[in-house]
Amino acid sequence: MSAVKLMTLVRKEWLEQLRSFKLIWIPLVFALLGIMQPLTNYYMPVIIEKAGNMPEGAVIEMPVPSGAEVLAGTLSQFGMIGLLILALAFMGAVSGDRNSGAASLVLVKPVSFLSFILSKWLGMMTLLWGALLIGYAASWYYTWLLFETVDFAPFLLSYVLYGLWFTFILTAVLLFSTLLRSAAGAAFSALGLALLLTALSGIAPKYMGWSPSSLTGFAYEAVQGGFDASASFGWSIGVTILLIAAGIAGSSALLRRQPALD
Amino acid sequence: MNETLELNKLIGILAPVLIIQFILMIIALVQCIKAEETRGPKVMWVLIILFVNLLGPVAFFLFGRRKV
Amino acid sequence: MKELLQVNGLVKAFGQAQAVKGISFHIQEGRCTALLGPNGAGKTTTIRMLTGLLKPTAGSIQFHGLRAGEDRRSLLGYLPQSPAFHNWMSGMEYVVYAGRLCGLSPAEAKQRAKELLERVGLAEAAKRRIGGYSGGMKQRLGLAQALVHRPKLLVMDEPVSALDPIGRREVLGLLKELKSETTVLFSTHVLHDAEELCDDVIIIRSGQVALQGALPQIRSEHRRPIIELKLEEHAPSLEWAAGFEQRTSADERLSATIEEIERQGTMLRLTVKDMDKARQALTEELAKEKVRFSRLEAGYSSLEDLFMKVVGE
Repeated sequence: MSAVKLMTLVRKEWLEQLRSFKLIWIPLVFALLGIMQPLTNYYMPVIIEKAGNMPEGAVIEMPVPSGAEVLAGTLSQFGMIGLLILALAFMGAVSGDRNSGAASLVLVKPVSFLSFILSKWLGMMTLLWGALLIGYAASWYYTWLLFETVDFAPFLLSYVLYGLWFTFILTAVLLFSTLLRSAAGAAFSALGLALLLTALSGIAPKYMGWSPSSLTGFAYEAVQGGFDASASFGWSIGVTILLIAAGIAGSSALLRRQPALD
Repeated sequence: MNETLELNKLIGILAPVLIIQFILMIIALVQCIKAEETRGPKVMWVLIILFVNLLGPVAFFLFGRRKV
Repeated sequence: MKELLQVNGLVKAFGQAQAVKGISFHIQEGRCTALLGPNGAGKTTTIRMLTGLLKPTAGSIQFHGLRAGEDRRSLLGYLPQSPAFHNWMSGMEYVVYAGRLCGLSPAEAKQRAKELLERVGLAEAAKRRIGGYSGGMKQRLGLAQALVHRPKLLVMDEPVSALDPIGRREVLGLLKELKSETTVLFSTHVLHDAEELCDDVIIIRSGQVALQGALPQIRSEHRRPIIELKLEEHAPSLEWAAGFEQRTSADERLSATIEEIERQGTMLRLTVKDMDKARQALTEELAKEKVRFSRLEAGYSSLEDLFMKVVGE
């Protein structure tokens, strides 16, 4: 595998993201999601007052959320809408190129299959981590503006943990996109996996501590400052990184077995 | 006095939201009009982009264009 | 003449069905070879195995002059039947990209891309998006990107069959020029294209090599004297033709001179062993039986006849 060729492929991914405006609209949507959370939290009492048919003189008692709670809410927004958007945006990562035949034109050149897969993965990762940072930072700024300061360390730690969970799911998108012909099939398989793991973690948190999905819980704890590195924390990080590596290797092996579909 | 202060603050806070939504809408609109072929009628997409806040442009970006 | 590529007993099975059933051939350096055969004969499958896009079930593909550990793909340039590019790229960007993937330096890739786009007549369109290219332009761009790293072997799958007549002319013209510069292997189901461009042909039929060799050699080896006879719509004459066909195999004198008779409506086509004797015997017959014919022609079988015969069985 040559680093120069890998970079050529990655640069092509970036150029594609730029020309299809993915590089612009996805971070913008994340920024919007990030801003909306503190904003709706802040104006919730007003909104309820204006919208609801409250009896004359009724006083709404709503506890003011802490800054950390607002940020945790933002993360959970990202975890749903953000993840959905990213999965849909990248669902055709490999299958699109393979179905059109564009992949065969690249794979007859002296390029390793792993480089091809890695370039797709790195292209996803730069956009994912970038958009997440922009959105989360916007949320952090608005939380400071409307509520209170949240320290940098918990903010950063929760960002990294949530990013790792996203990385895991997007790697699954990549794997399914190599396995399946259908782009929609790839997106829904990966989102289904995310849903399943999250649900299992909710039902039996004790037994699912090792699962990548428990990273989201750790991220909420991290931002709220009540974080202590338990044994399962190490496990879930280790397992997630291992599964990500396996996903990349698996995609590469699948591609090697059948480079072209057209 | 207090009212106007509140209003100024509100505008300051909401402005970025409106600006981002506006940018998304413009990009989607330009892309939609420039596209040779959209999935479904172009007029429908233009209306969706213009009138469905945020989700309209996002839906267009995700589903509106044929894979290039 | 140096041998460039040796293919031995290549087999590809999809489940139970064998698309390619043990093909062997070799390609000499500097020659242009056509892989000729009807649709579904296994041409595309064979070519895809050569390029590495498909794993052979059995058999070997050997490139001479490949250094140990070197990727076979670095010696190959490949143009599929309808190449798919990234429509959002410009022609120039794509060829530079292809060059970089083949290991050229940025400056080299740019230089080559410029040369090649000029060469294939896309200099004007180089900066335009590929999405707006016509079929012929895409095929020419496909040639440029396949040649960017000066491959030892240019492999093409039906390079002109998806094109309109104008695009076809353009690409065939280009290929005529290019074949002097590198070794070429291409597949086609059109004999005419193979005759126009190639030195060697490999005719394949249902996954097997039916015939291979240098084109002039095949032409002379398989050239047969033939007589064509066209009759009028005249019942006794047609009856005679049917009778004559049957008699030929029985009659010793006739079967000694006539190898084969094909009858199609009012046409009679005789493949003969000895032209003079056959001509003599036939004209005697015709005079004696008062056969009404509208045309009588003696000549030689064409490559087309051979191709139809080899492929049609």
